[in-house]
Parts: sequence; structure tokens; C-alpha cells
Amino acid sequence: MGDYLEALGLVFQWHVLLVIGAGTLLGLIMGALPGLTAAMAIALLLPLTFGMPPVMGMGMLLGTLCGAIAGGSVSATLLNIPGTPSSVATTLDAFPMARRGEAGRALGICIVASFIGGIFSAVVLSLLAPPIADFALRFGPAEYFALSVFGLVIIASVSSKSLIKGLVAGLIGLLIATVGTDPVAGVQRYTFNNLSLLTGVNLLPALIGLFAVSQVLKDVVDYFSGGPVEHSKNKMDHARPRWMETLRHWKVLASSSVIGTIVGAIPGAGGSIGSFLSYDQAKKMSKTPEKFGTGHPEGIVASESSNNALVGGALIPMLTLGIPGEAATAVLMGGLMIQGISPGPTLFTDNGSIIYGIFIAFFVANIFMLLIQWFGIQLFVKVLQVPRKLLMALILMFCVIGVYAVDADIFNVYLMLGFGVLGYFLNRYDFGTAPVILGLILGPIAESNIRRALLLSGGDWSVLVTRPISLTFLLVSAAFLFFTLWQNRRQTTPHS
Amino acid sequence: MKKLLSVLGAATLLSSSMTMAADYPSKNVEFIVPWSAGGGADNVVRALQPSLEKALGTTIVVRNISGGGGAVGFSRAIASKPDGYTVTIPTNATFTLEGLGNVAFTKDDFDYIARVLVEPYVMAVRPNDDWSDLESLIAERKASGEPLRMGASGVGSSTHIMTLMLGEELGIEMQVIPFDSGSAAVSAAMGGHIDGVVLNPSEVVSAINGDRLVSIVSTGEERSGALPDTPTMTEAGYDFELAQWRGIAAPKGLDPEIEAKWVEAVKQAVEDPQFQKAAQSMGSDISPLYGDELDQFVERTSKPLIEEAQAIRQ
Repeated sequence: MGDYLEALGLVFQWHVLLVIGAGTLLGLIMGALPGLTAAMAIALLLPLTFGMPPVMGMGMLLGTLCGAIAGGSVSATLLNIPGTPSSVATTLDAFPMARRGEAGRALGICIVASFIGGIFSAVVLSLLAPPIADFALRFGPAEYFALSVFGLVIIASVSSKSLIKGLVAGLIGLLIATVGTDPVAGVQRYTFNNLSLLTGVNLLPALIGLFAVSQVLKDVVDYFSGGPVEHSKNKMDHARPRWMETLRHWKVLASSSVIGTIVGAIPGAGGSIGSFLSYDQAKKMSKTPEKFGTGHPEGIVASESSNNALVGGALIPMLTLGIPGEAATAVLMGGLMIQGISPGPTLFTDNGSIIYGIFIAFFVANIFMLLIQWFGIQLFVKVLQVPRKLLMALILMFCVIGVYAVDADIFNVYLMLGFGVLGYFLNRYDFGTAPVILGLILGPIAESNIRRALLLSGGDWSVLVTRPISLTFLLVSAAFLFFTLWQNRRQTTPHS
Repeated sequence: MKKLLSVLGAATLLSSSMTMAADYPSKNVEFIVPWSAGGGADNVVRALQPSLEKALGTTIVVRNISGGGGAVGFSRAIASKPDGYTVTIPTNATFTLEGLGNVAFTKDDFDYIARVLVEPYVMAVRPNDDWSDLESLIAERKASGEPLRMGASGVGSSTHIMTLMLGEELGIEMQVIPFDSGSAAVSAAMGGHIDGVVLNPSEVVSAINGDRLVSIVSTGEERSGALPDTPTMTEAGYDFELAQWRGIAAPKGLDPEIEAKWVEAVKQAVEDPQFQKAAQSMGSDISPLYGDELDQFVERTSKPLIEEAQAIRQ
């Protein structure tokens, strides 16, 4: 208790609050720009924190992280361009809604759902971090494999128009994921002696290419073919947070926040699949699953509450075990260590006030995220009033800069352009691009873990079914697969 | 452009580069980190950056050029001009990459300016009734004939190679399970999915302090400051010493005067209390080395690593 009071004192000083707010704002801006990831935003601000007290510095970086995730959803909603991989699922419903002229409503739902997801994960982080970290440790290679199979089943659910086409797109993703150094034997596969491909196809250029560049290409083609360039609807609805509408979907909010927090806490599970899992879950529970993908509020609520809950979840193994699950938390952990604090079990006993200060700062960051978006929403929707011609040119410029900045590698820019062309054709012929991303993220996790599991079992496949967590995921995957097939049939039969 | 041309002109005219060295540094220095932000090497560079900037009197721009386990960044560093405005952070990965044969550079393509930090490799295992120290571990494994299943931070990484070398030295069979990162291997060991890990202290120290892993032996010249109770291989009676290190290097052909300026700057920077605190919490020991001593160290360390890596390749 004493630690908590001391921690409150560490956070509630005007300059600490100011710095957290500034971090959140910067994160929002960088997250909204395609190509700039949360990890890059944090790495950029990291040197500023060296001179600060630990809670102040971490507060700023946590604000940046929350802001970046929230900002990623703004561009996902307005432009169909997910700023971060975890907002890919947001594009599925938020963008169609915005296209209908309800951009204000879509963003309003995003803001409220993000806030609730973030606060939920903050509560879990402060109360349940150690037991959840212990649960996360029970994930060995076999469990990770089963989890990624579970994730791959979602492909069936996010392929809106045709199941077969969705699966084809997913397989394209899996195929591309085989490029790079074999994770266990170290043999090079399809790298053509290109150093940039040694560690496989970089996810960010693929993401930006498939979503942003393909969208730009589509608009360019529409423009020159004299077709109807989709003008931003001038009828702009009122842009404000939609509290009641979001809270009405409380079941989706609750289940998605839980899924987001837990998937976030499992290090290396490919955090971004959390929002897909929630989306899939919401669709299965929904009375109107056919509306998903057409601008349905439940879809936005699911994805948004989940991707902000991921943040708090990801902090759990980092703070309690010293294990960062993905890039952004790895940079955060670096920041802590440079401050002279090693995360891990001893953090709670040695630096109680600091860790509680970090918890409180995370709450504060989420509140700032809400406030900034509350006031900013009017400004965000103005983006749609920029003539589409100019907007597309600007977007392409940011994409090139952002993707180049990842590794200062021009090859990534070519890769992005290649994926842009691929994405254009996939969208044009209704294959969809979300399944490709799922395949790309989950392919390497599935492959390397099944091989590790078999190395450990001496080639005995039964490890997959003798371990309870693994067996559960595989059984649920099978059940979901049949459920999706049945749901699809039920939907299509009356029409045909 | 004009400025660039005049700089280029000056560079070719004054091949003795007396004035260039005297003016150094007259622009920003690019520090290439061949791994992504948040990794061990990145933390070191970012912790060193403020005090190094002060000592050199210029701005250091950290550029993370990851990919290929360091191959892309190192190759980029080698391709830059040896004018002191591009430096990188050499580690044992510089040598293992050469041994694995995926890169076009060798260890001789660098001019090594300084060794800043060393950290041993630590063998840490999950707590177990059958073993509590090196001796009981070896005895138990020899009796059972089972291989020790150890996690490494990536296929062909220096931890992978070190695990195999330790196995040969200790006379037990090591089954290396490569993970995507050191932290992924640690979490698998903590969860009991593998027997243990061979990693650097920064990656295992919180697991050890939290009693989730037991450190058995370390490979440094001296005991690690982060793990003072863990004996070294030498103390355990083996003639084996090989540590991970992090330093500063430029592409081959660096002007000795510029190198001297860097050495001075590093000497000042490592005295900075903020950096010392950071190094301590990262589990690294500040152990600077320069000039001929450094070159000898590079020779001594690179030889076995390159050989072992070449053996993996076959």
C-alpha cells in the first residue's frame, strides 16, 4: 500500500503528466502515419528518457505505445491503411463504415472501444500479472504450434466473399513466409543470395504494400479509367466518441478485451493475431454474422478493444519475467535497463514504487489517449476532405519513407511496391489481403514451433495431442472450422 | 551538392588527410547497429550515445539496419568510407557470420577501435533434483546418456556455436534447439520445455534472480559482475575461456589520428556514471581494450568461433 501511495506521488506531478501526454500525442501521430511502427516511435523517443526519473521516462514511452496503437486505427478507419499490424482487423469493418459517410461514427466507436480495452488490460496488469505470466510460461513449442493453427483457421472467417479465395490468399501468405533462413537447420530458402531476405520477408513492407499501396493503385486506376473515383462523401456525420453505441456491445467488449490481454501476454504469439481472434470470436457469437465485413459496429468494437488490450497484456511477461513478447516491448525493456532497472520477478520486491508507478502511468496514458482522440476526432475526419489525388500522393510518400526507415534498406521499398501490385490484384478479384497477412505472421510461428516440438519429442507427433493446452487449441480449431463452414452454407443457401 | 563535391575533392587531394583528421569530427557520425532497436547491442549503443557525443563533440545518429542476423548492417558498414563518420558495433556475431559463410566480409575488413563491454556466456538450467551444479549435471547426463536440450537465440548464432563448444569441452551431448530470440529460449526454459539455455547474462539474469533458472557455469575470463556466484570454466578445471563482447569498429583503412580521437572519446565515455549504471543493469562488465591488445583479443576470440561455425555449415 505504501508503495502505491509513493507511486501515485511519482506520477501525479504536473511535469510527469505533461510528458506522458506529449508521448501519447507523438505516438498517435506516428502511429497514424503508415510505415512508422510503435517500436520505431519508442526507439526514437528513448534517448529523451535517459535524463528523466524512471517512472517519468517509462510513462512517456508507454504513452507513445498506447498512442501509436490508437493512431494506427485512425488511418485504418479513414484510409483503409492499418498504421500497425494489429489494426489490420479494424480495416475490415471500420473502413466500409467510413466509406458509407459514417467516418465520425466509426472513429467514435474506435475511440471508446480502444479506451475500454486499454483500461481493462491495465486493471489486469496491476492485479493479475504474476499468475498470467505463469500461464504464459506453459506455452512450449507444441502449444505455440496449436495456437497458430487456431489463428490460421480464422482465415476462413475473414474471407468475406469466398471461402476458397480466402484460403488461396492465406496460402500465398504461408508460401511467402517460407522465404528466408530455415529456422532450425539454417539452410537458406529462396533468398537468391540477397542479404535482405536472409531473415525472411519483412512484415512491414508486406503490410504497407498489401494495404496502402494497393489502395493507392486502385485509386489511380479508377482515376485514369474515368471510373467513379470514390470521393469522400461530403455528408459528414457528427464526429464524437460513441459511448452508448459501443457499450451496447458489452459482450463483445468483454470477450475481446480478455482475448487481447491474454494473447498479448503470451510472448511471441504474434500479438497482432489477438485482434483477429477477437474479431472471429465476435462474428461467431453474433446474431448477424453476415453483416461483418460490411461496416458492422461489432467488428470495430472487437478489433479495437482487443488491440489496445494487447498492450497491457504484452507488458505482463516483460515486467514480471523480463521477457519482451515483441518489438515495441523489447524497446521499452531496453529503456528500463538503461535506467538501471532490470525487469523481472525482483522488480516487485526491490522497486515496488517504480513498478506501481509504471502501472499508474499506463492508466494515465490510456486516459490521455482518450482525451486527445476526443478532441482530435474532428481534426482526423478532415483528412477525408483533402482531395483524394493529393492524399494518395502524400500516402505513397509516407509509405516509402516509413518502409525505407525500418532498416534503411531500399530493397524493402521494392518489396513494398511488389506487394502493392499483388494486393491490388487480390482485391480486384475478391481474394482479400487480410488472409495474406495472417499467413505471413502465423506461417513462421507454426513452422518453427512444430519443428522445435518434434526436435524435443524425438520426432513423435503425439506431443501435439498429449499436452492439454495444445490439444484444446487443436480441437477448438477443428470445431471452429466446421462451424464456419456450416455458417457459410447457411448464409449462402437461401440466396442460391 | 556543392558541399559534397568540395568534401570529395578535399578527400582525394589530401591523401595524407592531415587536415581532415585535424578537423574531425566536422559532421554527424552514423552508428550502424546491425540489429533492431531493443536488442542487446542496440541498448549498449543507446546507453553509450550521450556520453560519447559529449566526448567527441558531435552528434551520433544511431541507425538500426537489421536483417540476416547482423549480415545486412555489417555489410553496409564495410561498404562505407573509412573516414570515421561510419562506425558499427562488432561482437562475436561478426565472426560467426564469417564462419557460416553467408556474408562477403571477413573479420579483417574492420578496423577495431575499442572493446567496451564483455559478458560471458552463461549456462543456466531449470532447477532440478538431479543436478545443482556443473559436476552433478555432467555426472547425471553421462549416466543417463541423454543429451542436454539447450535453447539458443537463433540458428547459427554465437550462442548456438557456444553451446556446441561447451558440450565438446564438458564431454556431454548437447541438443541445440534454436529459438527466434534469447528471450524466447529463456521462457521455454522457465516453462520446463527445454533443459536450459546458453546465453549472455543480460538475458538470463532476471530468471536467475527470480529462482526460475540456476546458473551452472560461465565462460568469461573472470566471474560476471551480474552473476558473482557462478564459477567460470577455468575455475571448474577446464582450459576454456571465450566471452561475448561489444565494441566499436570502422571499415578498414581508418586514419590513425581519427582512431586516436575515438579511443580518447571512448575512454571518457566509459567513465560516465550513467553509462556504468546502465551497463550494470544490462549484466555487462565494462572492460575497455584498445590498440594492439584489442587486435590480439580479436585474433584469439575469432579463431575458434569461425572454425566451429564452419563445422556447422558442413
